[in-house]
Amino acid sequence: MYTLGIDIGSTTSKCIILEDGERIVGSSLVVGGMGTKGPAQAVEDVLADASLTREDMQGIVATGYGRNKCTETDQQASELTCHALGAHMVFPNVRTIIDIGGQDAKCISLDAQGRMLSFLMNDKCAAGTGRFLDVMANILTIPVGELGDYAGRSAHPAAISSTCTVFAESEVISQLANETPTEDIVAGICASVATRVASLAKRMGVKPEVCMSGGVAQNSGVRHAMEVSLGQPILFSPLAQLFGAMGAARLAWQKAGK
Amino acid sequence: MKAQELLNRFHEIATCPKAQMAHYLDSGKKVVLTAPVYTPEEIIHAMGAVPFGVWGADIELNESKRYFPAFICSIMQSLLELGIKGTYEGASAIVIPSLCDSLKVIGQNWKYAVPSIPFIPMTYPQNRKPDYGVAFTKAGYERVIADLEKTAGLKFDDAALGKSIEVYNAHNAVMRELVCVLANHPEVSNAARSDVFKSAFFMLKEEHTELVRELIAALGEEESGPAKTKIMTSGILADAPGLVSILDDCGLQIVCDDVAAESRQYATDTPAEGETNLDRLAVKFKEMDNCSVLYDADKKRCAKIAADAKAAGAKGVLVVLTKFCDPEEFDYPLIKKACDAEGIPVTVIEVDRQMVNYEQARTAIETFRDIL
Repeated sequence: MYTLGIDIGSTTSKCIILEDGERIVGSSLVVGGMGTKGPAQAVEDVLADASLTREDMQGIVATGYGRNKCTETDQQASELTCHALGAHMVFPNVRTIIDIGGQDAKCISLDAQGRMLSFLMNDKCAAGTGRFLDVMANILTIPVGELGDYAGRSAHPAAISSTCTVFAESEVISQLANETPTEDIVAGICASVATRVASLAKRMGVKPEVCMSGGVAQNSGVRHAMEVSLGQPILFSPLAQLFGAMGAARLAWQKAGK
Repeated sequence: MKAQELLNRFHEIATCPKAQMAHYLDSGKKVVLTAPVYTPEEIIHAMGAVPFGVWGADIELNESKRYFPAFICSIMQSLLELGIKGTYEGASAIVIPSLCDSLKVIGQNWKYAVPSIPFIPMTYPQNRKPDYGVAFTKAGYERVIADLEKTAGLKFDDAALGKSIEVYNAHNAVMRELVCVLANHPEVSNAARSDVFKSAFFMLKEEHTELVRELIAALGEEESGPAKTKIMTSGILADAPGLVSILDDCGLQIVCDDVAAESRQYATDTPAEGETNLDRLAVKFKEMDNCSVLYDADKKRCAKIAADAKAAGAKGVLVVLTKFCDPEEFDYPLIKKACDAEGIPVTVIEVDRQMVNYEQARTAIETFRDIL
């Protein structure tokens, strides 16, 4: 049985096709989220990747902020539910998931069976999200995907506010004016995101093992800063950005009657 | 009348307060505005005026920002905004209690921003339980009476207050009964439930009591709909249509609440005995409890919320936190702790009167439903 999970985020669209709710047979990730052609492209890409057709799918679940606008299915689930399912598939011992997406951050607590116990979401604010990193990378004129490498070369991370993206932007410009090395500014930016989201996680309660999901999980600078903030190792998988889609595909399999 | 017809009537009243106010003014009655959270409505009623609840509205705030910073309760801000824009013109006065820091400052701003509607303060004591606290409350009521006589030309009579107390106690009882009845009727939407509570602020209580009694009787003749996932709500205000409709979309049913604008209003009756009826009313405030704006060093309300949720069969507690409401924010960790101890899941969503997009709240509520 093949099932498809579609995760329509604020900046990207991701798809996973699972065989019998376990084995990944196709995946896709395209830039362009809710309100763009990204979701349709992601579905087209994942079907091509798996060499399957839409008719082969016995269940489809959409998740992410664009889930209710998805034309591929009328089955939706919240991204927290799907990230919990996806992360638990990859890391069966995970108890705390930190999901930092394009426009928000979420912390999820799981029990030993992978059931969600509680969760917290950030306030409506770009600080502590992928959007924050995009803005900062833009000011520094370096690709967002290279932020982790830059942070890894820093010896003295700069102090950047974790309160507000607008204030932080001014601080970064001041640091540039003071000729602070770019590596140190980037490390400070990563620490800023990590500190803010770590506070959210601590409010909920952090139990090991801890993993990160969402696009920002790809950033080694934020992951390292998060480990420092939480005093815990952070599990990482290259599939972290696809956990939502994976969980959606798993849920579609469960709904289809296994 | 069938239940749905009555619910339609409640909806009409809840969504058109201006028409309600015009109706009372046209009939020759005086209208006195009553601000959150608790005002001595019985006094206003006894003096022959219509106590008219004003809890602001879901609107964009512009004018009120001349008087308030952005980081203050949006209920207060929207109340002042509506006052400045003339929505309440025709009212004889507004009574504003002193139960939280935001309420303490709005009165002074109101005096300057809305000079056409006189401001009457109702200053409550922090320590309401000792005898001196009751005496302080009574003195506050006497000030309200004196101001109403002076500004609105109304006359106070203690015997009339006794009759009004009966009206209000009867209304309290019928609202408590309604909560139990609605818990057994999942087919009545959360939006409709909200309408019944909201309409109470815009009607004379004897009229509202009559309508609620009709609804209870009508529901008694109808079969209950399919079961939904039962929850309890807590907060100051939880009536935003955008929010309530998400609860309905998610198949959740509010079976009991700890919402200040809903059940907290009707939890305490005025006692039967007292030297005068005004003394009885002062003792009522003494006996009120279980609210974030009523001082309680032991915070007994937190354990009560968990106990009430359990008793009503609620699978979880949804805390609807009004942004920048300090009293509610202080209590949240204790509510969470009390519910955790009872194994009742809790989640919190922040709301304010300016929200137009509830998508983040939808995600949180859908996830909460999945946990339940």
